[in-house]
Parts: sequence; structure tokens; C-alpha cells
Amino acid sequence: MRVVNMLAQVDYDKCIGCQTCAKVCPVLAIKMENKKPVINAEMCRGCAACEQRCPQYAIKMVKREEPFTVYVDPSTVDAEKIEELCKKARLHPEQIICYCTATRAEEVAAAILKGAKSPEEISLQTGVRTGCKVECIEPILRLLEAAGINPEKPDGYQWYGRTPTVWEIPESVKEKYSSRGFYFEEDIKLLDKVLAANSSRKEDK
Amino acid sequence: MAAKVISPIKPRVSQYGVDPKYVTKRISDYPEMTSVKLKELFADTPDVIYPSEKGIAAIRENVIKALEKVDMSMIKPGDSVNILASHHGFTLLGGEPYAEVLKTVREVIAERTGATDIRLRAGVGLRFRETEEYIKAFGLDVAFNGKAKGVAPIDKGIPIETEIGTLYGIAAVYDADWIVHVHNSDVREVHFHRHVDRAVKPFGMSYARIETRSTYHQNLGPRGANFTARAIFASEFVQSKFAFATFMNMSPAGVVSIEADNDLLALNEKITADGLRYYGKIMTLLGEIDECIAGLDFPAPVPYVFAAGVIFANFVGANVDLFDLDNPLPPYTWYTEAFYDKSGKPLIENVPPVNPAIKMVVHNYAWGGYPSAFFAHQIPTVVVGREQADLMDRDPQNLDYMKYAVIARDLDSAMAYAYKVAKTDKVIIFDGAAGGLNCSESLAEYLKAKAPEVSRRVDQELLPKWLRQRGIDPNIFKK
Ligand code: SF4
Ligand code: SF4
Repeated sequence: MRVVNMLAQVDYDKCIGCQTCAKVCPVLAIKMENKKPVINAEMCRGCAACEQRCPQYAIKMVKREEPFTVYVDPSTVDAEKIEELCKKARLHPEQIICYCTATRAEEVAAAILKGAKSPEEISLQTGVRTGCKVECIEPILRLLEAAGINPEKPDGYQWYGRTPTVWEIPESVKEKYSSRGFYFEEDIKLLDKVLAANSSRKEDK
Repeated sequence: MAAKVISPIKPRVSQYGVDPKYVTKRISDYPEMTSVKLKELFADTPDVIYPSEKGIAAIRENVIKALEKVDMSMIKPGDSVNILASHHGFTLLGGEPYAEVLKTVREVIAERTGATDIRLRAGVGLRFRETEEYIKAFGLDVAFNGKAKGVAPIDKGIPIETEIGTLYGIAAVYDADWIVHVHNSDVREVHFHRHVDRAVKPFGMSYARIETRSTYHQNLGPRGANFTARAIFASEFVQSKFAFATFMNMSPAGVVSIEADNDLLALNEKITADGLRYYGKIMTLLGEIDECIAGLDFPAPVPYVFAAGVIFANFVGANVDLFDLDNPLPPYTWYTEAFYDKSGKPLIENVPPVNPAIKMVVHNYAWGGYPSAFFAHQIPTVVVGREQADLMDRDPQNLDYMKYAVIARDLDSAMAYAYKVAKTDKVIIFDGAAGGLNCSESLAEYLKAKAPEVSRRVDQELLPKWLRQRGIDPNIFKK
């Protein structure tokens, strides 16, 4: 869940049309028209990625007069399906995957089960990837993969691809490095324990 | 009044913090506050080269000396060189020493190799303009003839094939013939990296794309994650470009030495061991505090404000030995934060609570730009002034911070409120005081009384264990 209370605004006197802003916008809210960026105010999630990367300092974040909230309610989707999808991605449904917005895996799973097919659509609907813009891409790609979806990479730097998980580290690597303080096996045990944990969602029933 | 407290680090003009004009009073200004020097707590605190009477010249001199034994013959006059830096170096001791290291390394490379295309690539955390601010503030743009830039994890990426699969670096970090890694050994996020492979870490962080950072924080587990950086550094691609590394070797009292080596892993061993030795005692001592009010008063985001060389995030975890890898989860990391369910209960029993000694936080001055709602959620927090609160409310990473914190009109009312609610007169101030710790007299007495036993325990029991867990021979200190 994310409160959207800011909006990006371009100062066209400063803009040189370099496209950087469009290439980093996690929800594809910026389209280049006549070599200048046009921001779709309804889509903008106020993440400030464009403002933070514009080489001309041509974008500023302004307060929205009417803030709104984006949220996909997991209770509107079959709980077992959410559980199944999260499990396949090796995420506990209730674990937080976006620390800025406290979004849990189940909300992203719900968005996917309701039809979101890419990280961009998921971000639009839930607000993940629009806080720090850095930390939550992998669980999203894991959940999409678990749902059998292979999203098309946008024409920017939004994301490149899914990277390894601890369950996929080759035995030879584990052997080579485990005496140097890399606790792979122990962490697998810990994460598996999280996966197997009961959730308050179940207890509530 | 005589100078009985060490001067805190001054507020800094930054888009991530309030205008310094709003920081009208510092927590150390109160008459009940005092300072304890690290040497007063631990007699074996190492001597430092900075801060010292020689000033910044000591840094320069030591960088030049350390680089004498480094081989630079691989760099030819027509080659391009990227000097890689990280934002955190600039928050140590006001930032000047790290900036001086970077300038001196550039000059020595130019002089010894004849290379002219030497650039600075300064990585950031979650505040993408932060190093741009430091580049200007410390004149690094001028020192690098305009070839200095901040790089962010959402910038254009480059795939790197590693032993565990494809990870991603920032393209601009690797767009030169050679890379030179210039960093510092401050233990800082020991809650995340657990002081494993400290010298290698920026390859998985400051120089890495979002996919890699997300791998570190979400894919590999709280201890296995440290391998992310090693995997990238060990890759053929990075090895083909790596020239050498230079480190500002830190202790809580200041800069102990400058270390440089062509072999990063050899340097890593020394840096890791020194970090355990220099920071182990103060971290363990802070873990002994039974009750306190924590004051945040430093130009950095909430978790990164400093007291005696230790960041607040590590004080939040000081009830657990963060160096001891047998503890699976510290009280604060993103892995820990992730494992609380919707009702606020831990999903598994191994989730330790945040340091119960911290009864209240007075946020007098700290920045946004890092997701910090966990701290306000877990610890009663009072924020001084509407401006600080507004700053957090505008920050896409902290939309919930003020949901859990209250606002006081000024520092006086915040402190009065904190004393009343926390029911303790022990105060620890995270204000970056160099060489010591600003705190209340009551806490100073408490720390002095506890220090000798902590010192003995670290020397005899903890340090040998920490070294063993990292595969480091305890005889390393005799070398
Ligand atoms: S979503 Fe972020 S990057 Fe996109 S327009 Fe809004 S603030 Fe800019
Ligand atoms: S990044 Fe800045 S300069 Fe480039 S197109 Fe966007 S607004 Fe214009």
C-alpha cells in the first residue's frame, strides 16, 4: 500500500530532452513527445526517480492537492492461490518485500493473480519500487516467474533480470567459501523456517 | 562554559535534510551533558593519524606512503582509470579526510603512470544525489578536472557473470580500462554485512545495480548475502579491470592508517581483523547500557547517525552480538524487518527484539532518504520541529515514519517529554563527536564502570571467536 502525495513536474526551460527520466521511471509514466518528457499525472507514483537522475535538475517534486492510495487487497483473491504463488517464489505471504511502503508478498501476489503482468504494472497498482526504487525488484521478478510470466523488459533501465537465490548457489561455491564466514546452509535453514511459519492470516480464520 | 563536550558534526546543507537554520540547538548543549573519550574507556584504543595536530596533511602524507608499495605498471599513459568511491566515506569526521584520500590517489596515479583520463565515480546508497553534493562541497569536481560524477543504482547497468550466475553492476563504474577501489573500513552496517568481507562489500552495493542490491537484501539470506559482493569482485570481468585498492582504516577514535594493496583479499583480511579489534569493544560496551534516551543529531539518515564510531542502527541491535555469526538475525536488518507479520508478531522465534534499553528516541536532526519507519514503529520517537516532520512526509521512503512518531515544538520540550516518559536520565547522543562520545554524566559514569570487564571479555573470548568464524588466524595481529 502506498500513499501517493507527490507529483513530478518538468521545467521545460531547463530540460535538454535526454530521456533519462523516461528510462528510470518505474511505472512508465513518462513518455517522450517531440523530444520532451510528458508526465502522466495519474500514473506518477511520486517516487522521485526522475527528479533524482535528471542531469539538468529540471524536475521537481510538488505536493499533490489530492493525495491518493494505491493498494491491492489480498482478501479479494483466493487465499490458497496467494499462498501457492508465494511458496513457489519461496516467499512467506506475510513477509515484507518493500520496506518503504511495508508491502507484503501477498499484495504483490494478489496483483499478479488479478492480472498484473510486469514489474511496472505491479508498481502502479501496489506502489512497490516507488519508495527507495532499489530493493524490491527481485521478489517481484520471483513472483512473476512463479506465476509463469516472463515480462518484457522495458526500453530503459527499469530492470534487467532475475538474479540467483541462496537455494541456487552451486555446492562447489558453498564448499569453497563457507569457512570464510559465508553461512549459506544456515541461512537456507532460516529462510525455510520462515516459509513454513504459520501466518496470522491463517490463525485469524 | 568550558568546552566540556566534544563539538558535534555541524548540520550540512542537503536536499535530504532540513535547512541547517532549523537546527537551533544541539542535544550536547545541555549542562547535564559531557563527553567520554574512547581512551578513557579503553586504554588500548589505537593512536590515530587524523584528527591530529597535523590536520589533513597527515592523510595526504600517509596516502602517498601507502601507495609506494603498490604496483601501477598496468596503467599506461593513454589508459582511462575510474577511481571508485562510496558516499559513506564522506560522513566520517566531517568528510574532509576521505575527500583528501580521493584527491591524493588521483594525483599519485597521474604522476606515476602518466595517465590523464582519471575519473571519479562515486556511488550512493538510497539518496541518489548524495555524492553529487559531496563532490561539490569538497571541490572534487575541480580536483578531477570536471571528471567527477555520482552514480546511482538505477543508472544504466551492465551484466556481470559470476560463480553464482548473472549479477549487475552500474555501467559507468566499469567504463574505463582500470578501476581503483578507494574506500574506508568503518564497520557501519555490520547488521547487514556482519563484518564478513568488509573491504569487498561496495562491489555488491555502491557499484551495483538494483538487481544486485535486491539480491543482497532479499535473495541470499542475512548471512549468505555477503557473498554477493565477493561473487562480483571474483568475476573475470572485474578482475580484468581491477588495479588496486586504497583504504582509510578507521577506528571509533578516527583514522588509524591508510592501507593500499594490489591484492584486495589480502587487504580485506587486515581490514576485517582490524575492524573487529577496533570496534568490538565499544560495540560490546554499548550493548551493556541498561536504559537510555537516544538523541539523533547528525547530518545523515536515521540509521546512520554516529556515536563513538557506531551508527544508531547498530545500537538498535546492540542487545545481540552483531559480530557473532552464530546469531542468525540481528534485531535490525531488512531480513529482520521483513519477518514481522501483519499483527506485528515475528513469523519465527529467532527474531530478536530491538534493543530494549532504548526507551525513547529524540530526533533532533537526522535526514530522510532511507526507509526508517521500522525505528519509529519499534521505539517511541519524538521529532523536533515541524520541518523535520514535513521532510519525512515528503520522502517516498518514509511515508509512514511520522505515523508512529510525535512532534515536539522545540528541543527543550522534546527533552522534557523524553525524560518524563522514559524515566531515565541516561542520554546517549548520536552527533558524530570525534574520538569520544557525547552523553549525559550519568551514562558516562555507567560506561566507565562497565568498560574494564567488557575489555577483558572481548580480548579473551569474543575477538578470538569472531576471527575464527571468518577464517582469520588470530596471530594476524602479531604480524
Ligand atoms: S513515478 Fe517516479 S519517475 Fe515516474 S514520473 Fe513519477 S516521480 Fe518521476
Ligand atoms: S532527464 Fe531531465 S533533461 Fe533529461 S529529458 Fe528528463 S527532464 Fe529533460
